[in-house]
Amino acid sequence: MRRFATIAGSAALATAIVLSAGIAVQAAWADPPQSTAGAEQIVAIRRLTESQYRHAIADAFGADVRIEGRFEPERREAGLLAIGSAQLSITPAGFEQYFRLADLIAGQVTAPERRARLAACQPAAETARDDACARQIVSRVGEALFRRPLTEAESAARVQTAAAGAEHTGDFYAGVALALKSLLVAPEFLFRMERAEPDPAAPGQYRLTGSTKAERLSFLFWDAPPDAELRRAAASGELHTAQGLRRQLARLAASPRLQQGGRAFFTDMLQLEHFDGLTKDSKAYPKFNQALADSAREQTLRTTVDMLFVQKRDYRELFTSNSTFINRHLAALYRVPFNSKGDWAAFTFPKDAERSGIITEATFLSLFAHPAASSPTRRGVKLHEIFMCEPTPDPPADVDFSKVQALETGTVRTRLLAHMENEGCAACHRVSDPVGLALEHFDGVGQRRTLENGQRIDVEAEINGVKFSAAPGLGLYLRQQQKIPACLVRNVYGYGVGRAPDERDEDYLADQTEAFASDGYRVPHMMVRIASSPEFFKVKLPARAKPATKVAAAATHEGGLQ
Amino acid sequence: MSALRRLLLLAAASLAAPAPAMAAWTRAFAIEWYEPAMYYGAQSGVTEPGTDCPAGTNPEPDWIKVLTEAGYTREQALWLRNPANPTRSPVHGQNQMAFRGAGRANVYIDPTSTPDGGLVGVTGTIGEGLDLDGDPNTGFVGPAGERGVDNAFYRTLGCWKTFRGPPRLSSGALQNNDAMRDGAWTVVVVVSGRGDDPMNDDDVTVGFYPSGDKLVKDAMGGVAADYTFRIRPDRKLEALFKARSVNGRIQSSRAEEEVWLRDPGAARDLQLLKARIDLSLKPDGSLSGYVGGYRPWKPVYDGYVRARGPVIEALTWVRLPDVFYALRRNADYSPTGPTGEKTHISFALRVDAVPAFVVPPDAKGTARPISYKKQAPPSGQPDSTADRLPFNVVDGIVIPRGAKAVSQPDSALLPPSTTGAGGAQ
Repeated sequence: MRRFATIAGSAALATAIVLSAGIAVQAAWADPPQSTAGAEQIVAIRRLTESQYRHAIADAFGADVRIEGRFEPERREAGLLAIGSAQLSITPAGFEQYFRLADLIAGQVTAPERRARLAACQPAAETARDDACARQIVSRVGEALFRRPLTEAESAARVQTAAAGAEHTGDFYAGVALALKSLLVAPEFLFRMERAEPDPAAPGQYRLTGSTKAERLSFLFWDAPPDAELRRAAASGELHTAQGLRRQLARLAASPRLQQGGRAFFTDMLQLEHFDGLTKDSKAYPKFNQALADSAREQTLRTTVDMLFVQKRDYRELFTSNSTFINRHLAALYRVPFNSKGDWAAFTFPKDAERSGIITEATFLSLFAHPAASSPTRRGVKLHEIFMCEPTPDPPADVDFSKVQALETGTVRTRLLAHMENEGCAACHRVSDPVGLALEHFDGVGQRRTLENGQRIDVEAEINGVKFSAAPGLGLYLRQQQKIPACLVRNVYGYGVGRAPDERDEDYLADQTEAFASDGYRVPHMMVRIASSPEFFKVKLPARAKPATKVAAAATHEGGLQ
Repeated sequence: MSALRRLLLLAAASLAAPAPAMAAWTRAFAIEWYEPAMYYGAQSGVTEPGTDCPAGTNPEPDWIKVLTEAGYTREQALWLRNPANPTRSPVHGQNQMAFRGAGRANVYIDPTSTPDGGLVGVTGTIGEGLDLDGDPNTGFVGPAGERGVDNAFYRTLGCWKTFRGPPRLSSGALQNNDAMRDGAWTVVVVVSGRGDDPMNDDDVTVGFYPSGDKLVKDAMGGVAADYTFRIRPDRKLEALFKARSVNGRIQSSRAEEEVWLRDPGAARDLQLLKARIDLSLKPDGSLSGYVGGYRPWKPVYDGYVRARGPVIEALTWVRLPDVFYALRRNADYSPTGPTGEKTHISFALRVDAVPAFVVPPDAKGTARPISYKKQAPPSGQPDSTADRLPFNVVDGIVIPRGAKAVSQPDSALLPPSTTGAGGAQ
């Protein structure tokens, strides 16, 4: 095989890739021009999440492309990874991973059995450069990956890379593979670069570019890059018109891919990445293993997506419904028969099972518990944080946990009461623990129980004078809490725009929450309302440090970008 | 009679008619371990002398001696046993070991072509199992003192390395149950009764069925409880027992003429005649006990031949023809009557099962202990879950497909250094 004939040759080719990527980096990260009048500039940069990366590759090359590798850790900010993604860079080790993935993907898509799918053109000879055909491939794939048409400089750099590779190896497709790798490691692919441009309808004001609007929409609704139709609408300016935007929103919301977008959003909001490092004590919970963890995660996503995006039911039923989906592993955990010949089946828990919504599924109950025990406190803290947007401060560094960790005595309620003799702890526990104590009929992996250490478990609880009992009582209590739909609205908005809402957004979010309620708490409708509102595309300067010499100029920019 | 009156009478009659027979209670289980019931009479280990086998587990035969007694020269015997011999597969053994009968006959398929070496059997008086013949004066005394335990299978093979050891520790049970636990096959048990109390019920039915759903191991390495298994109807493998429970002990109320189970050993299919059960519902929800009956002894031998004679002999320290002779010698039951040929041997399985959900073949509702044979695929239709060997066994040895299981010529039985270039190639 002539590809990579020598080590020296490989190094030279790799350098060519880095150089071409470097061109793109330089273009992308260049400081905004000091004189902003009439200039397009970057207003936010968000690293693609793993699922977005996977969906982008599937869209560009086909769903059968294998993506085997580790991704950089993500960061949660203001309750969402999507907001944290706006503060992430790529480490050298992470770049190596992306480079390895690029190599793996480029190798697959240029393999003889698949290369015909890259473009309509055929090279004049597979053993030599063919710039015209290479340009077609780079143009088509580049637009899919960069989510906008490539600039001439971006395209020319990759065509040159393909030509150099083909000349060096005597293989047209080896050269194309190098060009594709260059695209796959480019910041324009790995990061969503949100750009603003002067708004012709409002002199002195800025608006998001059409392609940036398209990205926000498609990643919110589909967790994937804009498709060709959305890119067309962006390029034609349709997304800047109310009618054009409405048409695209209707299409996005009606697509089966909305379920994919819903999955991604709730994967983020429900903090399902915690499954990655979840361990349980084998002796305490012998049924818990990786298969069960994977099943629990899937159960929660299936249940949520089916209820909210397929059946379009009231969001608050997420806390009261006893309908779900199970597989064989989960049926064993819940101690119910699996009456299906398939892998998954719809299932309704009997009333005496005390299951009430996703907070009584194995996901919530196992993620937010200790390795060998349940944890009303963790469950309460996470319930407030995830569903009510009310984070709890970290405990003091010198807190004494010895009384709550004596697992072999009493019930967790008695242990917590002993722990709360410390007034410094009591303030937070009074808020977090009641909802968690109502879930105590479920152990640290979600199996139902009524006794702990031989003692009957008390699942009575009271918050703000409201008394309830057990999970169904908690579910009904949560259903009445206005904070819960308000928190979802806040999260959807933050997820879509990639930043934490601040006080300037409060009125807008209140209006959206009211509309959500008026509409019967239908999530897809709420998403459409948010995405069709001007606030969804509002331009705000990123709060990043500027060199001292540029402070004055930057301040000028900020004044103009409202 | 007016139409209305007739209607009322019909309604009354329908109310008075007996309801369809429905189980008042049902328990279901998945067998997590089962093995031939072989009482171990030593205090520790798996090979020590004990009351069962005073000389301990039967030692490995001297294979050089076996071969030279079969007519091979010592040099040939040494070369055949030499691991460097290219005809001795590290996985499947030395095929030539088969050809040690009279006139180089294959002893695996023609065991009487070599003399009976005399497999040493159990000489103790304690044995596990069931009283199959109803005669307390025949058989072993059970560990708890019960008399008349019929288990000639144990008497025959109880000192063989494959079977000897405490419960769950004999090499054969470990190997076979590991395979089952790793998903090779599954057997489920459905128990139901018509009374109100499972622990004490005069009318209990117990069914054993295959399932295509694999056992699942828990994080501690055991078989996880509470999984669901769908019965896979089988034209042969099904065992139904009528029984009664007393204080949770479920014992046959009659002998079943013929039942079939999945054998945990090499025989695969296990026919039991005059079959009985003695199972107990445990406080932790599990089920343990015995299933027994008279099994045909020839398939036991054939199973080991099919499992590759040279491998069985080398790994389990036995001369297979000796197993043939011993089983034939100790067979104690004839289906055709007391004077008929003893084709069967008394036998019992020790069974442990965990609580499970068992559903019928259509996956709807809960399985009942009835026959599902009519729902089995027509004969000739491939059984998708049947386990098949990944290599080609003919007459007890592994050979390329299409080849014949034949003895090598004498010229190939010596190493190249002694036979020249034309030696063992």
